Amino acid sequence: MGNRLVDLSAEYVSTLLPGLLRGLRETLLIFSLTLLLSLPLGLPVALGSISRFWPVRILSRIYVWLFRGTPLMLQLFFFYYGLGILANTYEMPCLRLNRFSAVILTFALNYAAYFAEIYRAGIQSIDRGQYEAAKTLGFSRTRTMFRIIIPQTIRRIIPPVSNETITLVKDTALANVIAVPELLKVAKDASNRDTNPSAYLLAAGGYLIITFVLTVVYQRLEKRFSRHEQEAV
Amino acid sequence: MTAIVHDSTDARPIVELEDIHKRYGDVHALRGVTLRVARGEHVAIIGSSGSGKSTLLRCVNQLEVIDSGRITINGEVLADTENGRVRYLPERSIRRILLQTAMVFQHFNLFGHLTCLDNITIAPIEIKKEDPGEVRDRAFGLLKMVGLEQKAKAYPAQLSGGQKQRIAIARALAMRPSILLFDEPTSALDPEITGEVLRVIRDLAAQGYTMALVTHEMGFAREVANRVVFMDEGRIVEEGIPDKMFDDPDSERLGLFLQAVI
Repeated sequence: MGNRLVDLSAEYVSTLLPGLLRGLRETLLIFSLTLLLSLPLGLPVALGSISRFWPVRILSRIYVWLFRGTPLMLQLFFFYYGLGILANTYEMPCLRLNRFSAVILTFALNYAAYFAEIYRAGIQSIDRGQYEAAKTLGFSRTRTMFRIIIPQTIRRIIPPVSNETITLVKDTALANVIAVPELLKVAKDASNRDTNPSAYLLAAGGYLIITFVLTVVYQRLEKRFSRHEQEAV
Repeated sequence: MTAIVHDSTDARPIVELEDIHKRYGDVHALRGVTLRVARGEHVAIIGSSGSGKSTLLRCVNQLEVIDSGRITINGEVLADTENGRVRYLPERSIRRILLQTAMVFQHFNLFGHLTCLDNITIAPIEIKKEDPGEVRDRAFGLLKMVGLEQKAKAYPAQLSGGQKQRIAIARALAMRPSILLFDEPTSALDPEITGEVLRVIRDLAAQGYTMALVTHEMGFAREVANRVVFMDEGRIVEEGIPDKMFDDPDSERLGLFLQAVI
């Protein structure tokens, strides 16, 4: 410590680790809450964007356009600072979000838009014959969607969902711009305090471990869900 | 079912298509087609590509929405035309009525995420709310009938084309329909395996199933059908018993068509 070179000695690392682990916990919390909310939220948006009712279709597509078409950081600023200003101006304190809630709300809404597009593409990739067969067997549209179409999209959407998920791991670092104490924020503070770059390397290791675990999990999922597509031996 | 009810329905066609018109933009695919299929009949619909034969069959179960005409199934009017506008029954009623029909498609359209057994049982159990145990027993009977009882647990991707189509036929039969609609059931198959599918359809005909069959297999149409309908440019040009149709066609167009395909 004290010198400005990379220092990964046990002594220095042990001073960094408690803070970094708290940051890692925060990062994982943001990551998992966002997934938990956005994965299901994407489905109604996807179904809305292919709805037969045009108002629903238009609204869903505008939603996707807004959240995919603007920077995530802008959205974060809006939901944290922007709503804060509105809360003051109109004396509506209920509009004010704390840092953590602002991050979760922004990320969930943003990622739901991306997942919605993945789901929509998956649903639309299913052959028309599947709908026709379901119809001739007496399935309603809703039942066709949930019993026949969506189950067949799962394997196809795992790779793009996996991609988005890994992007999300890294996007959680954006929370540091509104001072949420996640992994990057902790590393940055430590590095500035000690004028030493080592904390960044340790943080990078943290992100790499998470993305590695995710890669393995998604590979297994993909394998599991492709059982029915494997040809006979 | 009592004999009296049976007799009264016997007289009435299972499917009646009357003066059906269908347009796709500028293309007038069906130009006033009338076709009735009575109980126990095996009607083969033949004609060149684009003659409207598949479109006609798909009008029966609303896979195509007609522009005018009337569709009646087992005496219930599914769609009718008033003042030039087609009116279909509400969706729920249509679904109920169409349970009396079942279709076998050119491209099988088996559900890829379900085993063969589940493909066969899903609709009787989930749509018709029949007893699952009973449906499974029936499904195994059907698998045996099409010669695929060893494939109950296999997924469609693990089957050959001919096997897929035989499962699709079993799936249609599991609904216990009043009429089977075959839409070019062997057109997507390699010539050497059409036989296994045709054999199953032939057995069904022998068992007295009512069926309407769109096909390019002229030999098969002649053998299985008791009435042949020839379509050209969206109209029925000629219909009659197979031997007359194939040996001594009245219309020049059927003659030319038969020369070209046989």
